[in-house]
Amino acid sequence: MRICEIIGNVTLARVHPALAGLRLLVAAPFNAADLQAGRPASGEELVVADELGAGVGSRVGASEGREAAMPFRPERKPVDAYCACILDHVQLTPNP
Amino acid sequence: MQLGKVIGHATSTSKHKSLDRWRLLLVQPIDAMRRADGEPLLVLDSLGARAGDTVLLTSDGNGARELVAAENSPSRWFVQGIADEVFDRGSRN
Repeated sequence: MRICEIIGNVTLARVHPALAGLRLLVAAPFNAADLQAGRPASGEELVVADELGAGVGSRVGASEGREAAMPFRPERKPVDAYCACILDHVQLTPNP
Repeated sequence: MQLGKVIGHATSTSKHKSLDRWRLLLVQPIDAMRRADGEPLLVLDSLGARAGDTVLLTSDGNGARELVAAENSPSRWFVQGIADEVFDRGSRN
């Protein structure tokens, strides 16, 4: 999972039937320098499916690839990024 | 499989139920010169890796689902080993 900041959401006018009702959020991944400096995430944004209720400003763990669709089993959904956890706290160790 | 350095950890209350009670380590993937290679990853750890450790990660989703014993888990990356020594281009000698 990459650590991402939720920066927005997406609604769809026309949608693949399997995605109907799914919450979609826009997420920006953090790099190590962003996390160390406490600044906003600067990575290339992606859209993640969310069932936990993350909102703008949340820091989340985003699972990517085939695993992102596993929580929907046995349903099959064309999802490749999934909000697996909302983070309470990220602890960086100085000079690890 | 990918080498990385443990740089911290994260805590989460609201998460997929398959992640309950798992340690979430923050690992910076590194290249053969020990430079940061991409964005840090949150990974599952059952071996007790600590900040500063060099670890071997795998993105084997099947393995991760076996590890957490849940077929519907979104988990993918986990610590497969804690490195003792790594001889590569970043080695001193």
